[in-house]
Amino acid sequence: MTAARIALASLAIAVLAAVPWFGSDVLVQFGINALLLAVLAQGWNIIGGYAGYASFGNSVFYGLGSYGVAITMVQWELPFAFGLAFGVLMAVIFAFLLGLPVLRLKGHYFAIATLALAQVMIAIVSNVPLAGQNIGLVLPPLNNDPLFYELALGLLTAVTLTIFWLTRSRFGFGLIAIRENEEGAAVMGVNTTLYKVLAFALSGVFSALAGGIHAYWITFLDPESAFDISLNVKMIIMAVFGGPGTILGPVIGALTLSAVSELLSSEVTSVAGLFFGIVVVAAVVLMPRGLADIVRRFRKSGWRYFAENIKAHRI
Amino acid sequence: MDVGLLAQILINGVFLGGLYAIMALGLALVWGVLNIVNLAHGAFIMLGAYLSWYLYAGLGIDPFLGLPINAVVMFMVGYALQRGLLNLVVRAPMFNTLLITFGLEVVLTYLAQLAFSADFRTINPPYAGNSIALGSLVLPQARLMAFGVAVVLTVAMWAFLLRTKLGRAIRATAQNLVAARLYGVEPRHLYATTFGIGIGLAGAAGGLYGTVSQINPYIGATLTAKCFAISIIGGLDNPLGVLLGGLVLGVIESLAVLYIGATFADVASFSVLVLVLIVRPRGLLGKAA
Repeated sequence: MTAARIALASLAIAVLAAVPWFGSDVLVQFGINALLLAVLAQGWNIIGGYAGYASFGNSVFYGLGSYGVAITMVQWELPFAFGLAFGVLMAVIFAFLLGLPVLRLKGHYFAIATLALAQVMIAIVSNVPLAGQNIGLVLPPLNNDPLFYELALGLLTAVTLTIFWLTRSRFGFGLIAIRENEEGAAVMGVNTTLYKVLAFALSGVFSALAGGIHAYWITFLDPESAFDISLNVKMIIMAVFGGPGTILGPVIGALTLSAVSELLSSEVTSVAGLFFGIVVVAAVVLMPRGLADIVRRFRKSGWRYFAENIKAHRI
Repeated sequence: MDVGLLAQILINGVFLGGLYAIMALGLALVWGVLNIVNLAHGAFIMLGAYLSWYLYAGLGIDPFLGLPINAVVMFMVGYALQRGLLNLVVRAPMFNTLLITFGLEVVLTYLAQLAFSADFRTINPPYAGNSIALGSLVLPQARLMAFGVAVVLTVAMWAFLLRTKLGRAIRATAQNLVAARLYGVEPRHLYATTFGIGIGLAGAAGGLYGTVSQINPYIGATLTAKCFAISIIGGLDNPLGVLLGGLVLGVIESLAVLYIGATFADVASFSVLVLVLIVRPRGLLGKAA
């Protein structure tokens, strides 16, 4: 990475970090949400974008992280940091226990098995007294939005740096090899099972931390919202919209889509959902490799870029 | 344990399972042939339910007699959608086809909410409350009829895929697109026809669902998830496998409600799904890979 790029990245982080000092409360709140979604999209990027496994179970990690914080703070009355650690621990255990059998599955089958796990978690947590059953838990409020904002930004920086490391490490190349050709990767000496489980767990750690921060910020959670599958779909959409398997694509995708949906829901509430659906459909048809790919190829192909995409995938 | 109660629960499960099977049949067909997991499938079932509701409430057409109209209308919707939109992305990576059908689901649900409002509705033909007593067992008439139609349609689908020229073309395309093309299959038309049949089945399933259960614009997502589970349990190769998958799921859910509690019904069915995926990834009746 050149010095200019490091300077540019540091500047971007500094500007984002300064938002609580000059931005309005609404902007800061929007920022917390958008940054946490970006963390989730990046977390998904590790398992989905790099390892090529379309996980619908990342919302489980998010939910475990949320409940880790809630249970630790409400039931055991321990500090926030212990809650984050507990949530991460649960996410890692989940990734190893269920990742091992489920990561043997490929393609759609993996996607659906993880989707089913997410459904099962809702029902299980709804019946655990420690987790407040289906009523949920109420956390002690902490009215300090700038703090949550900086935590979210710090987490996003950490996950992005991790992904930057992936693109330069043996581990990351192993994941890309698995995505491109799993048998081939195994033949070349990549321990595919270990790599996949580690990627799943790494992805889970960041999702769990995001869930924990969100839970303490919102101060309330119930099984339906903590293990919400549409959140998982959202992170996939944001990652794919931005460009899966790239360092910054999912961040850009998450921030862009959050901004668009925020603008729409404040201006014309009723059509926001419809617009979201149409954007997704149009994006898949016209720019299937995400914004990052447009930036790269638009200069060469111009407007033909969109036609080329359709040509490549139609029958 | 009361044997009568157990028998009644099993009957309820079987009736539910038949309905599940017809719901999942279209999803499994589209998945097997086009390799698209249609996340909007449940939304099409929802649309079919509303179509039957309007046919009955507006024009007074009996929901069971209206099923052919329903299926034909939905077939045309499905054909147009595949021809105009989904054929453009059918060779894209899996994420993308998943995402586009998810986008469609969002759009359809939103439009349904706009057009039909969020109220609960039921298709209530005069015989809706009737039931047939068989010893100590109670067979609700509408559920029995829905079950019968579902089984007949599933078997008809099986015969269609196995015996007719079009059915063979569809199966050939699922196995090997290039070879099918060499034998004169026109893939754009065939894909659209297959998707149309899938959506037509969803429409019919929706009509049946509306006669035994309440409908609102948001039922789609849950139904899609169930259809997935059934397709996996039954396998994609064979409509009879889907029928078996539906029955297994229906019975498991009914038993789980009785023995473990209503909140665990979904846990039971999805646990079975995960188990089947791990032990027999090609379904209970599926051939070995």
